[in-house]
Order: sequence, then structure tokens, then C-alpha cells
Amino acid sequence: MRILANQHRRELGMRSYPLLIYVLAPLTALVLQAWLPRLLRDHTWFDLPLLVTVYFALARRDPIQGTFMGAGMGIFEDALTHHAIGANGIAKTVAGFLAGSVGVRIDVDNYIVRLMLTFLLSLLSGFIYVLIYSILLGMDQEWRGLEELMKAVGTSLVAMIVYPLLDRTQIRD
Amino acid sequence: MDSFFTRYRNLLVLLAMLLAQIIGLAVQVRRTDSGHNTLDARDPTGVRLIRLWADAVVTPPEQVFHAAKLGIVNLWQNYIDLRHARVQNQELQKTVDRLRLEQASLLEDARQGERLQALLNFQQRYIYKTLAAQAIGSSGNDSSRVFYIDKGSSDGIERDMAVITPEGIVGKVREVFPRSSQVLAINDQTSGAGVILETTRTRGILRGDAAGRPQIVGILADQRIQPGEKVLTAGGDLVFPRGLPVGEVVRVRPDPDRDSFIDVIVKPAAHLDRLDEVLVITSTEPQLSAEQQQDQATSEVLKGAEAAAIKQQQKASQIMAERLPGLADPNAPAPGTVPPGQDHAAPPQAPPVPKLLHPLRPDRFTPGAEPQPVQEQETSPPVRQEHKPETKPESKPESKPLQQATPSPAHAGRNP
Repeated sequence: MRILANQHRRELGMRSYPLLIYVLAPLTALVLQAWLPRLLRDHTWFDLPLLVTVYFALARRDPIQGTFMGAGMGIFEDALTHHAIGANGIAKTVAGFLAGSVGVRIDVDNYIVRLMLTFLLSLLSGFIYVLIYSILLGMDQEWRGLEELMKAVGTSLVAMIVYPLLDRTQIRD
Repeated sequence: MDSFFTRYRNLLVLLAMLLAQIIGLAVQVRRTDSGHNTLDARDPTGVRLIRLWADAVVTPPEQVFHAAKLGIVNLWQNYIDLRHARVQNQELQKTVDRLRLEQASLLEDARQGERLQALLNFQQRYIYKTLAAQAIGSSGNDSSRVFYIDKGSSDGIERDMAVITPEGIVGKVREVFPRSSQVLAINDQTSGAGVILETTRTRGILRGDAAGRPQIVGILADQRIQPGEKVLTAGGDLVFPRGLPVGEVVRVRPDPDRDSFIDVIVKPAAHLDRLDEVLVITSTEPQLSAEQQQDQATSEVLKGAEAAAIKQQQKASQIMAERLPGLADPNAPAPGTVPPGQDHAAPPQAPPVPKLLHPLRPDRFTPGAEPQPVQEQETSPPVRQEHKPETKPESKPESKPLQQATPSPAHAGRNP
């Protein structure tokens, strides 16, 4: 049975990480996202929780895990603001689901693909966030395309550094 | 049914998560009266709980990050980022040294300013004409207590002029050069200044001993001279004006060379060992300030008025003496009338009328007494008259009342 499971994992290309990484990586991303703006003032052009969500969703190639991770990260982000809890959660839930869904079909070892996917999902997450606020909640929320674009670029650039580091922590058979 | 959930498991999970979050959002948002949606000012209990958990999770690591950041910044600034620190330190050290020198110079200037201000105040108050001078050098020899000042003959300095400070006398000009002068201090052995002790009024000569301590020599032993007594210039040496402070008595010791004489050791009032600015008395003619001149004029006016009042009183006394009972001239004007030539504004005060005593032996000067013959007076010695007054019954004027002893006009006229 164990042999069959390992064979199935290899077939799927599913990556496995130590439990500590599952805990520390999201937590570090959330803490840094909350703490770095104090240092960088208005230059926080990255979204570390989204980055971690996309990474684990792609690595695990599991939409459900991506959904849960995205929901958890988004809700956590919302909880640290004074905004409604759930807007970021929905956006990152969708992003995690899509990353997990795409991860089954693409080569997740390709950096360019992962960066491109990160860039797109970052834009999508921002767009969904604005949609939720403006349509679902009926509240004023301006779409700031340039900032969202720069945020997506920044997240992708950070991903170029973080993804290889996280790749090193995976458990290899 | 199982195949449906298995086939669409991912989507169903997604929809469930989205639905749950949408419901959560709907709980938090409410519609206002104006038709706009807004968030509640106060979070619902569940939302608040989520925020509390998030804060509890994020805050401790944030504190760790913050402390680490401070440590890193401190490490960087104090240990790593020290490029050019040595050069900067050297430059700063040079700056500190320069500033210290400037501070010392400014401090010295300030002290000199204070001294000059005190000197100027004293000079303005001092009655004699003085010239301020700077002590610029000394003899360089302990046995020669002279120093040099930066004023000379071109400034009006002459030999034997007194050199003083506001605290007390310093010495006298010994040699005069065109641009400087040599001053002999009062603590030199060859110096000499006439001084007087303030309380005992004992006079003596002040000069220095071998150790440079001023002492008064040539004083007869006097138990009244005690330490602490002030010493002033006596004014008899034609150098120092009278009354200038010299110092105070420190102790009294017997003169080792002469019996019954003492030496009075004096602590000079002026700081002879650290003289910077001095005053040279260039003229002993009083130089009165405007205020002093006004005071003097006022004093003269008051003195003249007092003299006039005294003169007037004397005149009034003379007039009243002429009006005394028994001495009054019948031809004198009636009381209340002012004699010609007398001031109406200042009527003379009536002097007190002396009470006449009854003479034991009436004579020709006694008012109301009969003039006695010259021969009888000559033949009656005073001793006899004194012992035998009852032998002359005709001469008992003491039994007469005063009103009856009205003198004759002739007597009154003779009586001064």
C-alpha cells in the first residue's frame, strides 16, 4: 500500500514539506507583510501571503489545499485590518484554488511558469478584492491598476527569491 | 451521488468556502438610512475573536522582528558602519581642542571684563583723578617686589604717584619710562607708606619684610592692637591719599631689634600676588562728579543757611536780652513791635528768662542794690564779709522780693 502511494505521488509530482515549513512559511509571510510596511513606508509592493499560497498550491497540486490555504491567509490578512473579514479571504481562496488546479496541468518546476502564474494570480486577487468590495458589499473601492500592477511585479520578483528557498525545504524521496 | 461529490469535490469545496465567507461578509455589512452599505463600527463577537487571534499570532513575532531590527541597526551603526570614524574622531578632537582654547580665551576675557568693570566703577566713584593701567611684567626676582605697568610718562605718569586698586593700595611709581613705569609694591623691603590703624589711631610705617609680607614698624607696644583691625593710609607720606584701605592686622609680634616696640603684620587688601589692572592716582585734586558737585553745592547752601540762622538767633538773643525785666530800656519799643531793620518773616525767639538768685552779698552789680561807697568796699575784705554778713543790716537784699528790685535805668543800661 505504501509503495502504491509513493508511486502515485511521484506520478502526480506532488511535493512534500516538513510540518514546520507548513506552519512557519505562512506565519512568516503574514508577519512580514504586517511588519515590513513599517520599514518600507508606502513602498510595500508585494503580497507575501499570496506568494506563499500560490507556491504551496502549485507544489501540492491540490486545489482543495490551495483553497484552504488561500482562505486562511486571506482571512488572517483581513483580521489584521479594520476592513471586513472575508474580502481578502475570497480573493486568495480563488487564487489558491486556481493555482492548485493549474499546478496539476503545468510543470511546476519551471521558474518562469511559476513566476508568470504568480504575477497573474496577484493581479486577479487584487481585481477580485475590488469586485467584492464594490459589487458584493456595495462599498466604494477604487481600482488602482498601476499599483496593482506594481504589486504583482513586486510579488513576482520576491517569488524569484522565495521559491528557490522553499524548494530547498521540500522532502525528497 | 458519491460520484458527483467525488467528481466535483474541488469545486464544491471552493463554493463552500466562498459561500461561508460571503455570509461572513454579509454579517459584517449593514445598510444605512441613506442607502449606502457600511461596516459596523463595532465588530461582531465572532469577527472580533478572529481579529484577536490574528493579533495574538502576529504580535509576538512582530516584536521579535522589531527587537532584531533594533539590534541589527545598533550593530550596524555602532560596529559595522564606522567608515571614516577614525578620521572624524580626529577632526572632532581637533575641534574640541580648538573650542577649549577659545573657551579659555573667552573666559579670561570675561574675567578681565569683570575686573575692568569693577575698576571703572571705582574710578568713577573715586574722588581723585586716576589712570587705569595694566600690570605687564615683574622684576623676576623675589627680593625685588616691583612690577611694570603699561603706562608711562607719555600718559602722564610721574614718579611717586600712588598705585592702587579698588581693594587697596598697591605701591608707588618708582621709575617712569615713556611707555611704561616701574611700580614698587608696598610689600617690598625698601617701600614705605604712612599708615594708621583704624581703631587705635596708631600711626606707623608700612613696609615689606624679606618674605614679602607687609608690616608696620616703629610702633610702641600697645595691647589694644588686635588682629583684624583695619589699616588705612595716614596721608602723611605725600604719596598715598589719606584713608585708603591698606589691609588688616594679621598678628602682632615684638620688634626683635628694639624693646618696647612691636611689628604689626598686615595682610594687604590688594591682591599683590596677582595684579592685572591697577589705578595710578595722577592728581590729588578732587575730581568731583556731577552728583558729588551737586551734593557739595547743597551742603554749602545748607551750611550758609545754618550760619544765617545762628546769626539771626544771636541777634534775637541780643534783642531779647535788652527786653529782660529790670534790664529793659524804657525807651525801647513796645512788645510786639518789630524794631527797624529786623526781619518780619523770622521773629526772634524769646530766650528763657533766667531766674535771679538772691545774692548773699549784694554789691553794686546786683539789680536794685544801692551802690556802696568805694572806700567801704575796699576796706571790707571778702573774707570778712563772708563771715560777718549780719554786721551790715542795711545790706539784706535777699529779703526783698524780685519785683521790688527794679534796677535803675542807668544800671540796666550798663548791664550787658
